[in-house]
Amino acid sequence: MSKHDTRANAVRNTGKTAQVIIYIGLVLWMFINLFPVYWMFTFSLKNNEEIFGKNVVGLPQHWLWSNYTSAMNTGKMWRYFLNSTIVAVATILITLAVALMATFALTRMIWKQRKTMNKFFMLGLTIPIHASVVPVYVTLSRLNMLNTYWALIIPYAAFSLSMAILVCTGFMNEIPRELDESACIDGCNIWGIFFKIIVPLMKPAVATVGIYTFLQCWNELMFANIFISKNDLKTLPVGVQGLSGQYTTNWGPIGAALVMATFPTLFVYIFLSRKIQESFIAGAIKG
Amino acid sequence: MKKILAIMLVLSMALGLAACGGQKAPEKTKLTLWCIATESDANRPAYEQAIKAYQEKHPDIEIEWSAFENESYKPKLKAAMSDPDSLPDIFFTWSGAFLGDFAAADAALCLDEYYKPYASQLPEVMLQNSTYDGKHYAVPLTMNIVTLFANMNLLGQVGWDHVPETYEDLTACCDALVAAGIIPFGCAGKETWCVTEYLEPIIEKTIGYEQMNEIFAGRATWNEKGIEDSVAVFQEMINKGYFDPAGAGLGNDEVKAKFISGGTAFYQNGSWNCGEVNDAGDYFQVALFPVMDASRATYGQVIGGPNDALAVSSHSKNKELAAQAAFELGRDICHYGYLAGSGLPAWTPDYDTKDVKPLVAAVAEMVKNSEGMVLFGDNAMSGDPANIYLDYVSKVYGGEIDGAGFVAGLAKDLQ
Amino acid sequence: MKKVYSNKLHLIIFLLPALLLFCGVLIAPIGASFYYSLFDWSGFGAQKTFLGLSNYKELFTSDSINFMKALGNSLLLAALSVFLQLPLALGLALTLGKKIKGERAFLSVYFMPVLISTVVIGQLWLKIYNPDYGILNVFLRSIGLENLTRIWLGKKETALGAAFVPILWQYVGYHMLLLYAGVKSIPAELREAAMLDGASDGKVNRYIVLPYIKPILRISVIFAVTGSLKSFDLIYVLTNGGPLHATEVPSTLMISMLFLRNRYGMGSTIAVMLIVLCFAFALLISAIFREEG
Repeated sequence: MSKHDTRANAVRNTGKTAQVIIYIGLVLWMFINLFPVYWMFTFSLKNNEEIFGKNVVGLPQHWLWSNYTSAMNTGKMWRYFLNSTIVAVATILITLAVALMATFALTRMIWKQRKTMNKFFMLGLTIPIHASVVPVYVTLSRLNMLNTYWALIIPYAAFSLSMAILVCTGFMNEIPRELDESACIDGCNIWGIFFKIIVPLMKPAVATVGIYTFLQCWNELMFANIFISKNDLKTLPVGVQGLSGQYTTNWGPIGAALVMATFPTLFVYIFLSRKIQESFIAGAIKG
Repeated sequence: MKKILAIMLVLSMALGLAACGGQKAPEKTKLTLWCIATESDANRPAYEQAIKAYQEKHPDIEIEWSAFENESYKPKLKAAMSDPDSLPDIFFTWSGAFLGDFAAADAALCLDEYYKPYASQLPEVMLQNSTYDGKHYAVPLTMNIVTLFANMNLLGQVGWDHVPETYEDLTACCDALVAAGIIPFGCAGKETWCVTEYLEPIIEKTIGYEQMNEIFAGRATWNEKGIEDSVAVFQEMINKGYFDPAGAGLGNDEVKAKFISGGTAFYQNGSWNCGEVNDAGDYFQVALFPVMDASRATYGQVIGGPNDALAVSSHSKNKELAAQAAFELGRDICHYGYLAGSGLPAWTPDYDTKDVKPLVAAVAEMVKNSEGMVLFGDNAMSGDPANIYLDYVSKVYGGEIDGAGFVAGLAKDLQ
Repeated sequence: MKKVYSNKLHLIIFLLPALLLFCGVLIAPIGASFYYSLFDWSGFGAQKTFLGLSNYKELFTSDSINFMKALGNSLLLAALSVFLQLPLALGLALTLGKKIKGERAFLSVYFMPVLISTVVIGQLWLKIYNPDYGILNVFLRSIGLENLTRIWLGKKETALGAAFVPILWQYVGYHMLLLYAGVKSIPAELREAAMLDGASDGKVNRYIVLPYIKPILRISVIFAVTGSLKSFDLIYVLTNGGPLHATEVPSTLMISMLFLRNRYGMGSTIAVMLIVLCFAFALLISAIFREEG
């Protein structure tokens, strides 16, 4: 065996050990991240006694599927789920439309304060959502918009806008300007360029913006609690919270409600994860 | 992705529209009500029964009610106050300073002229916590006091067959419990109001209810030897290991669960727990904290009072109807809540009370024989002072300051 | 072309919806917050007293508010986020970016905590930290480290660290996905060319990958820092600022001023300070990255 070979073998061996260590690390981290899902699911099938101490991490001793029926019966979970979906979908659509138009103006059109305006929109990333509760409340109230879906859709869209513009800018800068030029020469006006050239090429942005916007509004509690007072319009986080009372709290059904609020999101994510990841890659923000 | 979005949108819009249609019922006067009786709240059935009874009596009026979680209800109500037109006709409120701020801002309606017909059922003394400048602003529902719950199984293990009634006995009992490896008290350090449920009775039983009321109302100084001593007693109990150290980082739900499952021998908290503790086993008893200074206080003095209440918006379009509904609902919520064990009646019962749970009945007896009452400190004081007060209480519990620091600090920050 | 893109009317049409939404919901409330920060006001009722800037003075000097402590806590969180959370996320992104087996599965699972609501994450960690039956103490006891068990969220010394761990953990996946996208978008030729020149993995990462994904790193750092300064939800569930204000952050102070202590003016002052600080840090981070490049 020549000297050269042994060295190569050594390298291969250390490479293998390193690989094994990396895998162990990755799998360990995977379990740490899967644990909440497991915990939430088993929690939803236990009674108070098991939840508070007797059996925190194990499988339930009695599988209390009745927690689900009581969560369904006491709270109007389906209604809340539907409301959350309506609000999230409408927010995503409005955010996308508004952000695409603004990004078009910010990346393609020619005007002086373009850079300043871009910075101005980025200001939105720094604003804490809780600071604006009261002023927004008063405005919505004056406009008679409290207790409508719009009371949530509009603020959520506004708070998602900065991020959406940031993401869309990355995508739109990637679209070669020659495309606009040739469309222009073919006689397209600005609307033609926007709708026929730019928008179709922005498809990958839909997933990225969609996910960010969704994260922003699906679990939001403060606005949802304060702007909506009608039972039929409440969203999931408020509904789930409503299951816990001032004096008594039965935790099993709360767990069941949490599962109902979370698992659909997880399933949709797993189902679409390849697409989402691909679009993330396609749109990796170019600053 | 796009297809799924489109389908979701169409579906949700269709369902949304469907929900909007079909609402063309005959015109009824609508009264809106906000409360905190959420689905799993002990008071929920009482609200449901009371509203049902009201609807049957007044078929032309529709009560549209909505319940919100306790902690998030406060910001919600305060935000609504910033535009009083958006307030519901009737809303749940805590008495004392919480409601006082709304009364001062003219957001709550003065109920004096609507009270008369109900005066025979609702003693005026029950209105005192919601009375400002001599005017009544709310309809009380239940009242509650701080009570000492005891697990007699655990006490029996160290030879006690009754709850100690003097401080000497209590210390002897606690020492015996500690020696036997049983934790005497559980107290949720994460929620400071739970700490006040321990500290306030000690103060009251040292300086007496009259002086304590004066201090809470800002008419007497915090700088008082009796309070300093009370804090010292409380901290001595902590240092002697009477309190579960784990409680420092726990919420009230966890601490209560621990007590009910036999993790601690005592649990001192509001009497609204009576129903739950009562149903957990027949070996639980209820008592009051013993007297510390017999020259100033008596055993029958209690912390508490009518606190939960309904108020009417001064911007309501149907003020008179709303006020009457508030009284009628308040009376019935009180009735059903008492029978269910979620509180003591602020209204004089005119119904059969033989089905009241034993622990609840015991507390009702204490209230009937009470020799003086002080409202919970964080309710008696308004927003900012109440939080400063709670801050100092948590410092006492955490051992940051002693009695002298407590009275000096409060005297400085709250005068 | 130039003419088409210079039309002012079209510009306004394209920009107007965003501007309306943005100014109406975000900018106007900042203005309102600044206005209220000059007053002593309970948040309702007509009684308002003009104070000028004395709310700002009180914010920085009052011991009972102790804003500096809260700010210090959130800056510590920001530092941990940049120096612990981001490197971990970057490490994962680089490892997964090398076409490792099971890449997709790992990626999907690592992102899951981001999708789970804060309430759930908070409740889970409350159970983990429970002094009696929490997994952490039970684990320590079972391996004979009884003396290391703590009342994690109940003691001043450990509460801050214990509250930060879940916050840092939950968003590792978020930064990882951002950075992973960057790593994956590197043209394959670039990487192969370097490999052909005999560069090791470390060298490729150092000289090819990192410079390439620098714009994304910058965004990640900005998110990590502004996110830390604004952090609220998990702290609120886990400790609500306690014990004895050990885990107070500006947002928890702000909420308690706005809605519990009836000091709307002071709450608005904290809001204004938060916005100013976040913006200043965002600019600073951008400047640092420009300097480097």
